[in-house]
Amino acid sequence: MTRRDRAVALARRGQILTGLALVGLAGVYVRALMFTPIERTQGPAQKIFYVHAPVAWAALLAFSIAGILSLIYLWIRDRKLDTIAAASAEVGIAFSVAMLTTGPIWGKPIWGTWWSWDARLTSTLFIFLLFVGYLVLRGAITDPETRARYSAVIGIMALVLVPFIHMTVYLFRTLHPEPVLMKPSEPSLPGVMLVTLLCSMAVFTTLYVSFLMQRYALSVLRDVREEEAANAIP
Amino acid sequence: MTSPFWRATWAVAAKDLKIEWRTKTAFASSIVFAILVLAVMYFARDPTVVSSLDIAPGALWVTFTFAAMLGLNRAFLLEKENSALDGVLLSPIPPTAIFAGKLLGNLVFVGVVELVSVPLFVLFYDLPILRQIPALAGVIAMATLAFVAVGTLLSSMVVRTRFAELMLPILLLPFLIPPIVGAVQLTSRILAGRPLSDLVGWLKLLGSFDIIFVILCFLLFEATLEE
Amino acid sequence: MVSRSLVAARNLTRRFGHRVVVRDVTLEVAGGETVLLIGHNGAGKTTLIRLLAGLLKPTAGQVSCSGTLGMVAHSSMLYDALTARENLAFYARLYGVRDRGRADELLERMGLAPHANRRVAAYSRGMVQRLAIARALLPDPTALLLDEPLTGLDEAASRIVREVLSDLRARECAVIIATHQLMEIVDLATAVGFLVNGRLAAVEPIAGREAAAIMDRYRELARND
Repeated sequence: MTRRDRAVALARRGQILTGLALVGLAGVYVRALMFTPIERTQGPAQKIFYVHAPVAWAALLAFSIAGILSLIYLWIRDRKLDTIAAASAEVGIAFSVAMLTTGPIWGKPIWGTWWSWDARLTSTLFIFLLFVGYLVLRGAITDPETRARYSAVIGIMALVLVPFIHMTVYLFRTLHPEPVLMKPSEPSLPGVMLVTLLCSMAVFTTLYVSFLMQRYALSVLRDVREEEAANAIP
Repeated sequence: MTSPFWRATWAVAAKDLKIEWRTKTAFASSIVFAILVLAVMYFARDPTVVSSLDIAPGALWVTFTFAAMLGLNRAFLLEKENSALDGVLLSPIPPTAIFAGKLLGNLVFVGVVELVSVPLFVLFYDLPILRQIPALAGVIAMATLAFVAVGTLLSSMVVRTRFAELMLPILLLPFLIPPIVGAVQLTSRILAGRPLSDLVGWLKLLGSFDIIFVILCFLLFEATLEE
Repeated sequence: MVSRSLVAARNLTRRFGHRVVVRDVTLEVAGGETVLLIGHNGAGKTTLIRLLAGLLKPTAGQVSCSGTLGMVAHSSMLYDALTARENLAFYARLYGVRDRGRADELLERMGLAPHANRRVAAYSRGMVQRLAIARALLPDPTALLLDEPLTGLDEAASRIVREVLSDLRARECAVIIATHQLMEIVDLATAVGFLVNGRLAAVEPIAGREAAAIMDRYRELARND
């Protein structure tokens, strides 16, 4: 099989996986809306949590993988790593946008404001901006070698920056604590809710993998086309 | 200070500063910009609602970082015309000395802009600063080292792209969050005369950011050079 | 007696993205040899020079060079805002050249002494090239790489460059010159390398041939590729 055939096959498998994940997502919606109890203090608005938290997790996963693969690229220099890292960053950006929109939608009925500098939301916003910068830099460099190397440098710096951002937001927060009463709820969930959450996380992780597969396949196909164009020059 | 590394660092920094002194454009722009930002931020608040002490630290650090960003690219841009960097790379000096030299040059550049801005800042906001000068100087030094180190590394990559002036802020801003938020918090507390125990958390953040990122930038510099 | 080769390349390959620009080049240049690299634009001359200088990393193969290497390229590698003297002083510091007189000596030799304290921004192309050569010669290199050294030079500058090149050969320096101006330089060379589509099709001694004969040989090799 040629490189192109392999890429097309990968894309196809990715599409199937996306289809499955979307079915799973529908199932999660049904379960969350009809079979999971309504949370006492927050009311029905809390249900957005079953989308918001997993999508945040998927974004974080996507960015971590992008950062780690960048680090390994600088060591091993296999350009495939850079291609996957870039694909992962793009998918991460998509998930971040979802997270940054569901957050305020959840927050408005509960906090009364669209944005509250909540620790996690704020950290994610900055990480999102960091990776937008990563993609902007990639767009500005034409040579693939240089692009991979520079992406790796930014990726590594980003990885090291993330804990500092968390630390900063945490320190800042101890001055301006979140609304104590209506805090968006967390782990200590009763069984039924926990199961819904876990199902949703599995669905979104699958969605991440399927998007990654398709985005990577697209990069490979573009590369194949460029190679053919370069070889066609006499 | 006579090891080859330091000699090379000095040589690069001295050359950069000499060139900047001759042309003075980046330097003049940064200072004018700093004055403008300070003035605008001063007039843009309602003095009956917002006290000096509340807004001054933020204004100061916004001024420093934006004025500095104007000047960070020049260090590597001047190597771009005539491919001067090639000549330096051909020489036996260790490449990290190039980074050290550029960093030193940038620190001096930004340092001078800050030195000019601080008196203006004190004047505008009528701040009781005299007793706190050493503490403030320390915080300014630490935070400046943080963002100039990262900015110098990023500029070595960004000067190769077409929109270097725009790309640098886009990439640099997320890296400014820890040191600048820390600097603003510390400046604010120092000006309010708070005890050391109130400062420790942020000092640790700033200090560890400095150490980790300066080392990281040195390590990553060569990756931005090779072709 | 065989001189040790001062600049050597083994199976050197360099690719940019999907384009292979230098393909499996093997070359050895010893002290006292002056090798011309000729080829069409895009044949890989500049890339090969940069690979030999160590400014580019090879995709495959190795480069080795013993002693100090100097390079004169299309860009001058000089700072326009500084004077000639300041530029040379900077490079002297980089190379650890302590002898203060060396820079003045070189400026004298290049005919730039009267302009030593003028900024490079005010120099003509010929003056810039001569200063670039002074810069390259400052650390007394054992090997010198030149990329199109005579392009755009006036009579006086050309003459000085030619003198420098023949002097370098006399001093057992290894010299490699990428050029397409064969006529002006063929009498200074000892050998010529033919670059066709990134490959070194042949390396042959000049053997008293004239520029025209060498160009014919190039065309012959290009046809057979």
